[in-house]
Amino acid sequence: MSLVRMSGVTKRYGDVHALDGASFGLAENRIHGLLGRNGAGKTTAMQVLTGQVLETSGTVEVFGESPYENARVLNRVCFVKESQRYPDAFRVEHALRAAELLHQNWDAAFAAELVADFGLPRRRRIKKLSRGMLSALGLIIGLASRAPLTFFDEPYLGLDAVARQMFYDRLLADYAEHPRTILLSTHLIDEVSDLVEHVVLIDRGRILIDEDADALRGAAVTVTGPAAAVEAFAAGHTELHREQLAGFLRVTVAGAGEPPDGLGLEAEPVSLQQLVVRTTQHSNRTNGQPATAGARGGEH
Amino acid sequence: MRRVLDVARIQTINPFLTIGLPLVVLGLVLLLNLATFAVIGGPSDGDRTTGALLALYVMMGIAPLQTMTQLFPFALGLGVTRRTFYAATALVVVAQSAVYGLVIVIASQVEASTGGWGLGLRFFGLPFLPQGNIAAQWLAVTVPMVVLASIGVFVGVVFKRWGQLGVYGATIGGAALLTGLALLVTGLDGWPAVGGFLASQPPLALLAGYPLLIALLFGGTGWLVLRRATA
Repeated sequence: MSLVRMSGVTKRYGDVHALDGASFGLAENRIHGLLGRNGAGKTTAMQVLTGQVLETSGTVEVFGESPYENARVLNRVCFVKESQRYPDAFRVEHALRAAELLHQNWDAAFAAELVADFGLPRRRRIKKLSRGMLSALGLIIGLASRAPLTFFDEPYLGLDAVARQMFYDRLLADYAEHPRTILLSTHLIDEVSDLVEHVVLIDRGRILIDEDADALRGAAVTVTGPAAAVEAFAAGHTELHREQLAGFLRVTVAGAGEPPDGLGLEAEPVSLQQLVVRTTQHSNRTNGQPATAGARGGEH
Repeated sequence: MRRVLDVARIQTINPFLTIGLPLVVLGLVLLLNLATFAVIGGPSDGDRTTGALLALYVMMGIAPLQTMTQLFPFALGLGVTRRTFYAATALVVVAQSAVYGLVIVIASQVEASTGGWGLGLRFFGLPFLPQGNIAAQWLAVTVPMVVLASIGVFVGVVFKRWGQLGVYGATIGGAALLTGLALLVTGLDGWPAVGGFLASQPPLALLAGYPLLIALLFGGTGWLVLRRATA
């Protein structure tokens, strides 16, 4: 059952469509990955779902109601952003105390453990934290709040690989004990491919994929072999990518299944990251947009 | 309502900084005044009025501005509605002004009974404030503080919604509006009438009644602007 649903949602800023008829849902007690390029509409989608931004058109339902200025909905929501701003005068402990006051499921002991794990100085002013520590503070708030609906928007800028792995491990372990609905947006697709149970891919405000991660694992295959044999195999399927070298052809196709033996074809599985990249490029090509367009801001 | 109180607690999560510091600054300013007049010496004819109390009012204008620009985005991420946040802000602003007003009234009593701290200084009991009635005095010092706070909130909200340009726009627009009104009054030869009207009003209406309307105007307009503001 969908706990969260947006249907045909458009959000316009002037003549920019941050969301363009986007529809997807989040199932209760699952971890969802929201993937897409910079400027694809990930943050806007989360802002709309948390009532921070009002959609231009379309319908949004969270816990069965519109989230905008709705205390019944928002009481159960925690939204952690990469660019989260904290009051200048706040120390780490003030931010934790504030989150505790506002989330009824807050687990202070768990928060204390996480603070120790990430080596966060409780008494330090948030302004003086390093970029990584600032991200860690957001992760701790998001985890310890145990909000029934938790959003993490690119939450780990500046965190090293070890700290990120610690976050994934903690998230999985705590999620197993306290199931809740989580939406995690990220560029680090390989890192989260085992973590997320459901994938939403957004590009230029449109939803390209809204599918269970398990289903996606076999959704595409990369086949290499003599050009004629590969062409025959790929015919009639959606071709996501193609590379040709002399007489050999290498094609990534969706929905074709595994190639039969005996044709001299070699098949490789397509990782979630490759699938996301190829699907986005394919969509941009068919929409007459060069694949490199739309890249803005720093990749991280 | 509980959530409003929780958000109010978050706004005052560092009580020394949010509530204590303005009083400490005020105390230091008072000491500075006392020291200055003690050094000057000479006869104390009881007319050493200073406007240093204004410092407290200025601080009350700035603090809620920062609440809106800095704390509001954080609170929104923690699942607070704009309505709850605004109600909590109003609660904190009014309660804080009420407490400071009480401090000023009590201090002015002390000032009066010690002959202006022994130096003829009028720091708290300013001459234009209503004399005698304690409740009227309290209203006359408290409500203007709420007005400044409401302006601070309003500027903060405009900044949240439309950024720096919005604040410039609102300032210029406000100044243009006031100038236009002044020109209108001049054109109609209405200044004597305005003066007469103001003179006919009781002091409490001028110090508390009309200011309260101004505070409500800024507060209400601020809410309309905030409703569509983004963290």
